[in-house]
Amino acid sequence: MIAFDAFLRTLLEHAGKEAERDRCSTIEAQHLLLAMASPSATETSEFLGSLGLDQEALRAALALELGHALGAAGLSVDAAELPLAQSPPRPARGLSARALGTSVQHALERGLGTLRDTPRPAHLLLGILQADVGTVPRALALAGFDRRELLGRVRRTLEATGT
Amino acid sequence: MSSAKAGVAGSADALAAVVALRRLADQLEDTAVEQAMSSGWSWPEVAEALGVSRQAVHKKHAKRLIAAGIPLRRR
Repeated sequence: MIAFDAFLRTLLEHAGKEAERDRCSTIEAQHLLLAMASPSATETSEFLGSLGLDQEALRAALALELGHALGAAGLSVDAAELPLAQSPPRPARGLSARALGTSVQHALERGLGTLRDTPRPAHLLLGILQADVGTVPRALALAGFDRRELLGRVRRTLEATGT
Repeated sequence: MSSAKAGVAGSADALAAVVALRRLADQLEDTAVEQAMSSGWSWPEVAEALGVSRQAVHKKHAKRLIAAGIPLRRR
């Protein structure tokens, strides 16, 4: 449990940096997934890479999702062309640090909420991948990933290795 | 969860567009306020241009602009 707590704490720090890079005031599921795919997250990055979900592939999928979502509003925006503020994005109101967004809260509840086993990083990944709606499932679908297949691989790995 | 909900068409697209536009608006606001304050605009001027109160714009942006070392006009 202590090992998982340390993993989660470090992961959330990295996810906070991903949210900052994304100029998002809250940490969302996509930031958590990007942090899990970071080469520094040794507990998860190799496994995610074996699923084709390395950071580069995830960033490409998320960019695709953003473009698709804006396209649904009739906009065609190249995010790389937008002027960026030098200052960091503002944190959520009333919080000194970047807060957890609802997509992360739901992922934590799904992945760890009813768990009887000792929590492991793959449980958290399950919680993220189990979301049926939202940015992550849309990005994965648009990039051609089969989320059910991914979930099956994570479940099988949990059963087989205890990763 | 039906496959229609899990998919990328219809309502899912419309709702995702709302999320994306909010994110884009936040990003544009951060950049525009920073640019205005860097070029000598005052808080009341920025507030009026955005259609919000001076207190609201100060509360929302002052901390990060100060942290970034942006010179700010008081009036």
